[in-house]
Amino acid sequence: MRALQPAQRLFHVNICRGLDKVLRACFNCGVDSLVLSFEHKEVFVNSKSPKLIVDDLKIGHWTKRAGFALACDGLSFEVAQNEFVAIVGPSGCGKTTFLSALAGLIPVLEGWFELDGKSITGPAPDRSLVFQGASLFPWKNVTENVEFGLKAQKRLDSAGRARVNELINLVGLGGAEGKFPRELSGGMSQRVNLARALATDPGLLLLDEPFASLDAQTREVMQEELVRVWQADGMGQGKTAVFVTHDVPEAVFLADRVFVFSAGPAHLVEIVDVKIPRPRDASAKHSPEFKEISDYVRSLVMSQSPRNREMENNDRNAAVAV
Amino acid sequence: MTATLQSQSSKIGNTKTRLPGTSATAVAQRPAKDLTVILGALGLLIVLGSWQLSATLGIVDSNFSSSPFGAIGALIDSLVTGYIWAPIGSTMSTVAWGMGIAIALGIPLGLLFGRNRILYGLTDPLISIMYSVPYVVFLPMIIFWFGIGMEARVVIVVWAAAFPLMINVIAGARNLDVSYTQVARVFCASKTMTLTSVAFPATLPYILAGIRQAVGRGLVGAIVAELFMGSSGLGYIVQLRTSQFRMDDAMGAVAVIAIVAILLTRTIAYLEKRFTSWSG
Repeated sequence: MRALQPAQRLFHVNICRGLDKVLRACFNCGVDSLVLSFEHKEVFVNSKSPKLIVDDLKIGHWTKRAGFALACDGLSFEVAQNEFVAIVGPSGCGKTTFLSALAGLIPVLEGWFELDGKSITGPAPDRSLVFQGASLFPWKNVTENVEFGLKAQKRLDSAGRARVNELINLVGLGGAEGKFPRELSGGMSQRVNLARALATDPGLLLLDEPFASLDAQTREVMQEELVRVWQADGMGQGKTAVFVTHDVPEAVFLADRVFVFSAGPAHLVEIVDVKIPRPRDASAKHSPEFKEISDYVRSLVMSQSPRNREMENNDRNAAVAV
Repeated sequence: MTATLQSQSSKIGNTKTRLPGTSATAVAQRPAKDLTVILGALGLLIVLGSWQLSATLGIVDSNFSSSPFGAIGALIDSLVTGYIWAPIGSTMSTVAWGMGIAIALGIPLGLLFGRNRILYGLTDPLISIMYSVPYVVFLPMIIFWFGIGMEARVVIVVWAAAFPLMINVIAGARNLDVSYTQVARVFCASKTMTLTSVAFPATLPYILAGIRQAVGRGLVGAIVAELFMGSSGLGYIVQLRTSQFRMDDAMGAVAVIAIVAILLTRTIAYLEKRFTSWSG
């Protein structure tokens, strides 16, 4: 179904397609109250306007081998202000492509993104991306790398410099300002990567599997660091963030809601709420609800892996044969 | 405790077999570099020594072959009398002008051709051909077009230097890491900033490698030009002295050319190390 459309803080959707879907859609975007009008087959929803709207999004591109390949097929969801959303899905399902489109790096085929009521057409200062590989400039030291975004947007004044310094300390790199990327470990590079993205003070922070290439221990540490930095930056109210990963516990630990994508072309399978209270720390990973949610999300992701799908199909065929 | 252990082990090492210790490896590592220097000097000495020996013993006629002592004597003499400085200055100014023009043209054009697909497609075969054909064959034509003055010599240096430089810059611009340009795009860097602050530093290792190659070829170009059509310069001196059968002076001038060449490439190598230490 299509995402809810804002109409002067009043949403209206067609309820012919099933009330349960309508209610779920309302629930997913933080609805304050809703009025069902069966006479007009409509539902009026009163809600805070969401930060990000993704509406019936299709992304695809031409490839030499496979011709036209669809990466995302009809994605619709909304992200509320100050919400941390994690997207998980089987590898190659198009979640990174989705994030690149959200960053404005690749064009969409159909549908649209809306951030703060404005449609996304390309890269803009209201979004920044934490890259999968750190993608630091090797000829710039830590400070210069963190400053890059502000410099590019011509906002590197004394306040900007102060923010850069503050962020470098916040990500735990105080004292390493003059170091060059080749002198940094993988974890340290990702700290710089994160600080660089936060420096421009974006309305929406995008993170593309930033810890995928780190070793297991560093990854754990960095997850906790990210939670700490996210909770600390922005005066207790974390930035709206979209985090793409294939690591289920990572997604559950970090996010308010986990979006499970199907195998490519990606569509939304389910949205799982993570009701673990904030502020979170490492101990959250040992709570029973964490385990329960992780297991549930993992089962959703596993059911989307190509092999399971194949088995499902085989079962269906077998049933037909009998 | 550790001290006594160490002293014991060193005693054992003295009497029986030597124990592998940290000091042993440290000693083993350092001479590796010194050794290559020593061996290099030794090789040079052997060649020069046998040359000198052959000349002194009359195995070869030193009127034809010159000799190391003769050449060094001529070199010192030319430095003392100061008559070598003018040719050095002449050659160096040819190389400097040629390299200056080649760099001023080659780097912007290389960046442009490397970043623009259409321009790259249009120019790539041409540049490859021009790079592959020995530039010396154009010398008669250049003389025909520009005469035998300073201009012609500068043109041949530009011709020699521009193509290797451009090939390197184009390769660098084409191999520009996609992740760098993505960072620039995500943070909304302007085109100018992307070029000067991302593309240029990212290509700098290629640019300096190109300059190193170009200086080598440019110097050869200058010397060849002087051999053919010179009225001044180090190449002209070698040509002149050889034709006068003053082999010691000719060899002395060759030694000067060698020193100039080494100094030039060493300077570029230093610049490469200085400005691209971040890569690799």
